[in-house]
Amino acid sequence: MSGVLLQNIVKAYGAAQVVHGINLTVQEKEFVVLVGPSGCGKSTTLRMIAGLEEITEGQLSIYGKVVNRIAPKDRDVAMVFQNYALYPHLNVADNMAFGLRIRKMPKPEIKQQIKNVAEILELTDYLERRPADLSGGQRQRVAMGRAIVRHPKVFLFDEPLSNLDAKLRTQMRAEIRRLHNRLGVTSIYVTHDQVEAMTLADRIVVMNDGRIEQVGTPMELFMNPANIFVAGFLGSPPMNQMPGTVTEKGVEIDGIIIAVSGNLSAQVGRKVIVGIRPEHVSLQKEKGTTALPINLDLVEPLGSEALLHAQFGAHQLVFKTETQGSIDHLSDVSEVYVHASMVKLFDAETGEALPL
Amino acid sequence: MSNNDTVYINQKSFKEKLVWLLDHFKREWQIYVMLAPMIIWFLVFLYKPMYGLQIAFKDYSIFRGIEASPWVGLEHFNDLFSNSQFLRAIKNTFLISFYSLIFGFPVPILLALMFNEIINAVFKRSAQTIVYLPHFISTVIIAGIVITAFSPSAGIVNTVLSWFGLDSVYFLTKAEWFRPIFIGSGIWQEAGFSSIIFLAAIAGVNPSLYESAVVDGASRWQMMWKITLPSILPTIIIMLIIRIGNLMEVGFELIILLYQPATYETADVINTYIYRQGLQSGQYDLAAAAGFFNAVVAFVLVMAANSISKRFSRTSLW
Ligand SMILES: Nc1ncnc2c1ncn2[C@@H]1O[C@H](COP(=O)(O)OP(=O)(O)O)[C@@H](O)[C@H]1O
Ligand SMILES: [Mg+2]
Repeated sequence: MSGVLLQNIVKAYGAAQVVHGINLTVQEKEFVVLVGPSGCGKSTTLRMIAGLEEITEGQLSIYGKVVNRIAPKDRDVAMVFQNYALYPHLNVADNMAFGLRIRKMPKPEIKQQIKNVAEILELTDYLERRPADLSGGQRQRVAMGRAIVRHPKVFLFDEPLSNLDAKLRTQMRAEIRRLHNRLGVTSIYVTHDQVEAMTLADRIVVMNDGRIEQVGTPMELFMNPANIFVAGFLGSPPMNQMPGTVTEKGVEIDGIIIAVSGNLSAQVGRKVIVGIRPEHVSLQKEKGTTALPINLDLVEPLGSEALLHAQFGAHQLVFKTETQGSIDHLSDVSEVYVHASMVKLFDAETGEALPL
Repeated sequence: MSNNDTVYINQKSFKEKLVWLLDHFKREWQIYVMLAPMIIWFLVFLYKPMYGLQIAFKDYSIFRGIEASPWVGLEHFNDLFSNSQFLRAIKNTFLISFYSLIFGFPVPILLALMFNEIINAVFKRSAQTIVYLPHFISTVIIAGIVITAFSPSAGIVNTVLSWFGLDSVYFLTKAEWFRPIFIGSGIWQEAGFSSIIFLAAIAGVNPSLYESAVVDGASRWQMMWKITLPSILPTIIIMLIIRIGNLMEVGFELIILLYQPATYETADVINTYIYRQGLQSGQYDLAAAAGFFNAVVAFVLVMAANSISKRFSRTSLW
């Protein structure tokens, strides 16, 4: 049985359709991340699952039961909001107890639940505090705690980390993933941050403009993006893109032919976008690689890695390479080598990956 | 400002402070220009008249003027507190205020909560407009409406009573009916308009609190009690402090327009007493003493309400 099943889900506000028929299966215990640029309909989709927005068309099932017409409270989902939605007049314990009291859980049981969850989230010392007296990270944990105590079938997260500073975000990200490994509750997590998506997800759903662009594991999406949008959205820095033409031997860019894996014969003459990830070049010539002559104009050290900003013909490219403790050896780089299997081709018109 | 800053400023010499102040005015003069009309209004209409307060302690006559009238100490206060009419006015002031507070204060809050539950926007706006309207009607017309409504011959109230076979009552001549009528018409006039401030407070509540509660399974009723009401509690407390501070200020224009000697027993309040003694009988000094007493009590009430609220709810006016 699937955890959450979206079949042709459409959302329209009046005449404006913002989600255009989404199909998605979230497996039981799976952690799925919806990622995409701001305004692409992630929150709307999540809120339809929660029952906070009406579903205009299509069918939504949770654990096998169609819930289109079921009230949010009876869907057995818990949601963590971006601004935490903590009740300012209640202390941490009462905030966590809110949903349980509404459900008329017996008092001793509520107390036990809160104790357990507070221990998991290291909130035991703060149970008496009001939200205003907590740090951002602690508030975030209370918001999670409030969802966890309910033992729902599905967790829904709407950008729960975006109000935290970068360091705390990294920390909480790991904590959320650890919690998921421990509790194993089906989770749908919305973010616009591709790093969060890559690190948290069992499977990523890339959305754009109310549509799903691609669904897959983080590595599938990283290695084999289905189209230019996904290629450009995931990865940092993003994939280098250059226009080229398919030939018998490879793809031609400004007179230079780059070897490409796969069978090109059916595509010869086709205008394409050539995509090369910054990470997927090496400074050593190896078997199966093509040399790209470059004019290096900037080396940016990041510590263990460095970014090389370079001109390749008329194109401005970025490469990522290891520093091995020093960047001195990078200053006179004049060629980088790209393996044929790392060169991705997308149709110049549709942006779809070429089937090779 | 942190403690450190305070200490720092205190350590400056007088001259340095003066320079700082001039500098401050130079930089912020626009703000003071905007403030000026209010300050001038306060000075002219509230502070300058305070000079005349001294006649409460003098044997004042218009012909001698304030300066030349001889001091008489607390004589007027002695007179007042041995005067049964004044004591009755104090009692009536407190009772009318107290009942207005008990019955009138919750009404705007209830109205605001009710408006908040109305989903249909058109209905909501019309309902709001209807309850706001009486606020914009002048007191004289309000009094006219009340008098007409309760008139024994053609008044709507007595007409309704007659449908049930009840005898008509001349309400406005009955002392026991004065307070309910006065307080009721006060609520009718102001409750709608006063609800605006609570509606504004409700509008400020973070909507995701409600969404979170919906997902948790709260009903609308539970959300009203457990989210809306606690969220606007600070506003309620501030309004309560202001109300308690104004406890001595019953709307005496309406009383003057509605009362008559037959209802003085329950209707005469300190301000109407002052009005009759001062302006109608020309006993300005006695009236000033009564007004002074009124002001002192009001001042104590505001201070007390504020400090109590500060202690118990972390909310206060200043
Ligand atoms: N209540 C609404 N009325 C009309 N349009 C809305 C409403 N809520 C969201 N939208 C539109 O729907 C689109 C998707 O919004 P949302 O799901 O919040 O995006 P995001 O992916 O950033 O979470 C946006 O273009 C937004 O303007
Ligand atoms: Mg969003």
